[in-house]
Amino acid sequence: MKHIEKGAGLVTAPRDFIRDLNADNLSAGLVAGIFGLSAGIIHISAGTAAGLPQEFTLLWVISYLMINGLFGLFLPAYYRLPLPMANSIPGALLFAAIIPVVGLNEALGATLMAGAIALVVGLAGWMSLVMRLIPMPIVMGMVAGILLKFGTNMVMPLQNALLPASVMILSFFFAARYLRRVPPLVVTLLVGVGYMALSGADFSSVTFSFKLPEFIMPAFTLEAFLAYGLPLALILVGMETPAGVGLVKGMGYKSAPANAITALGGFGTMISAFFNLHSTCIAAPMTGICSGPEAGSHDKRWVAAVIVGIIFVTAAPFYGFVFSLIEAMPSYFIAIIAGLALLRVIGSAMQMTFSGKHEVGAMFSFLIAVSGIQILGIGSSFWALVLGAGLSMLVEFRDFDFSRESATSRRSAASAR
Amino acid sequence: MSLLKDASLPALTAGFVAVLISYAGPLAIFFQAAQSAEISNAMMTSWVWAISIGAAASGILLSLWLKVPVVTAWSAPGTALLVSLFPELSLGEAVGAYLSAAVILFVVGITGSFDRIVQAIPPGIASAMLAGILFQFGVGIFVALESVPALAIGMIVAYLVFKRLNPRYSLILLLIVGVVLAVVLEGASLRGVSIQLAEPQFIRPEWTWNATLSLAIPLTLVSLTGQFLPGMAILRTSGYDTPAKPIVTITSLTSFGTAFFGGITTVVAAITAAICTGKEAHEDPGKRYVAGVANGLFYLIGGTFAGTIVLLFTSLPGEFVAVLAGLALIGAITSNVSAFAARKDHLEASVITFIATASGISFLGLGSAFWGVVVGSLAYQLLHRPFVLSDRRKASAAGERQ
Repeated sequence: MKHIEKGAGLVTAPRDFIRDLNADNLSAGLVAGIFGLSAGIIHISAGTAAGLPQEFTLLWVISYLMINGLFGLFLPAYYRLPLPMANSIPGALLFAAIIPVVGLNEALGATLMAGAIALVVGLAGWMSLVMRLIPMPIVMGMVAGILLKFGTNMVMPLQNALLPASVMILSFFFAARYLRRVPPLVVTLLVGVGYMALSGADFSSVTFSFKLPEFIMPAFTLEAFLAYGLPLALILVGMETPAGVGLVKGMGYKSAPANAITALGGFGTMISAFFNLHSTCIAAPMTGICSGPEAGSHDKRWVAAVIVGIIFVTAAPFYGFVFSLIEAMPSYFIAIIAGLALLRVIGSAMQMTFSGKHEVGAMFSFLIAVSGIQILGIGSSFWALVLGAGLSMLVEFRDFDFSRESATSRRSAASAR
Repeated sequence: MSLLKDASLPALTAGFVAVLISYAGPLAIFFQAAQSAEISNAMMTSWVWAISIGAAASGILLSLWLKVPVVTAWSAPGTALLVSLFPELSLGEAVGAYLSAAVILFVVGITGSFDRIVQAIPPGIASAMLAGILFQFGVGIFVALESVPALAIGMIVAYLVFKRLNPRYSLILLLIVGVVLAVVLEGASLRGVSIQLAEPQFIRPEWTWNATLSLAIPLTLVSLTGQFLPGMAILRTSGYDTPAKPIVTITSLTSFGTAFFGGITTVVAAITAAICTGKEAHEDPGKRYVAGVANGLFYLIGGTFAGTIVLLFTSLPGEFVAVLAGLALIGAITSNVSAFAARKDHLEASVITFIATASGISFLGLGSAFWGVVVGSLAYQLLHRPFVLSDRRKASAAGERQ
């Protein structure tokens, strides 16, 4: 356990939560929470695409919110850092696609093993080694590439919903300019909801339901492990954690506990396997919202992440209701809110990507992540890191930490002589 | 004749290399535009003829007149703009927009307001728009990687290796390796390639508001910021204190003439200019203008045999052209993204310009480059530009505190 970083502890957390709560981190937490709730739509569409039954997909999303939410209450409160937990979206797409091939119990068995791998990597303290092999500009290139899609999704509605989209985006700019005290996102949210209410959005399809996660026994096969467990482990260790940790570090939290995040994610993924869920890990887009400047004063942004956890756990049993509500709102509503929330994060991610070192690797990582290619059934975010780091070693090896270390040690040895 | 006396082998070679690089890399973008416009080989030949002749005429004239190596070419970011506009945009409308752009550039040139205009555009916004236009070509490399993995990976590795070993000739070497790979791996056949003289085809121009807003104005902007600005900077850092006025004026006039045959705006070269202005072209800066003339002459030859160039490109797979174009632009994409990412003072406006331009949105019939500038300038005005009003407010707030 010596590699697991120490945090501020949980004893005073509830009191500190009340003390540190303010309008900025509350609004950021709300936005990230709503964003997380809306991510359930990705699970639902992936499940539908793979032909999985409706009841399973709903259970899957409810587990996602309940289990990820419980871990998401604990981690940010313990470390007092904006570290919201959710699950891996690429992992979700892999999971939905593999269930018809290997079976649900077998897929969950592979999830359990992937979680165990992540747990071991975290406990052994190998995370810093992984992150040194894949340097920050390359990780941030991948993150910027993934986030860019949220940016373009924000401007897309200008094409077919010009009026509400431009009203929402303009309200953000105006609020940022003239209402320094009020977080611009809150203004945009209110303006957007007001517009929807005035334009007469149809809420008649909203229905109420109550459901809790259900226990299931995983089964183990080699086939499921190779086709899905191993890629999932790589995604969790090689991508989700570096992306999240990279973002938080980029926002000025240098002490982000990489090993603890990996280990807890691994443990959470193992628990997830018993409840129809494919992973628990740090969530990059929500981390961006909770740790960015929109979330207010630097040492209080952890509150936003805890709020995400609270929203998840509270909303989980009622997700059937929430889902029908989200369905009632036009889809661009969430897209615009998320895009505006991430605007600064995209900017700073690009700034870190092109900070000078590893220029070629970072650019390739960025482009690959945007392209969304799939090779050998593994998604682009994984290849962005692997190819980005590989090409960087090929053309700009001297930018790597260990090459500089070896060069300086050689130089000091020479001068000693 | 002094030209013959000043001529030297290094200067001729420099001119030749510059032309070869333009044909090897940036021309691939023009071919992608031609593919999206779904035009015939004969029309494509006319296009290549027109841009080559435009570059040849303006380059030879300016180099001889100013005694400075002025390397001209066609607007590469302009051709990138075309890819997303065709086929909704008709050929006649495109030519109409080329003519409008030429007229605007002529006014900019003759009034000598080039430096003032370039300074008025916030640098982050200009780089972000350029990066946004070029961005899709970079992504195109990896989209091709999915359909033709061996060819794409081979070309990427070849590009990186050549870039490391010999940056100057990397594009030409990449073209050769790429053609070999396309023949060996994808079974492309070069048997149909033969020597052909170009026959220019006249296109009747058509002027519309849509084409003016989505093509002519962005084309002018990217030509100014993406070609003339770096091109003039290269000339000046090489020690040539040439005014922008004659260069912008002459290139706009040739643009006007070649537009009728499908030639996009002629501009000062940015990618290849340094080859002819540096020491490699000639030890004596006073004799490097020969490289500019040679560059023009080789464009003349290239234009004459434009049909052969078109046959070469059309007998190769579309993915080859996509990867080649992407790799030729990757340096430009990186430098423009880095340029706007480094401008912290108006980063958000730059990011939103980049996002809107790269998103490829189109509404009211107008392309994303136009909307990128509109949304970006709006964000710049609202978020970053200091108002007199806010200054007054700040002053009064300071007064209250006292």
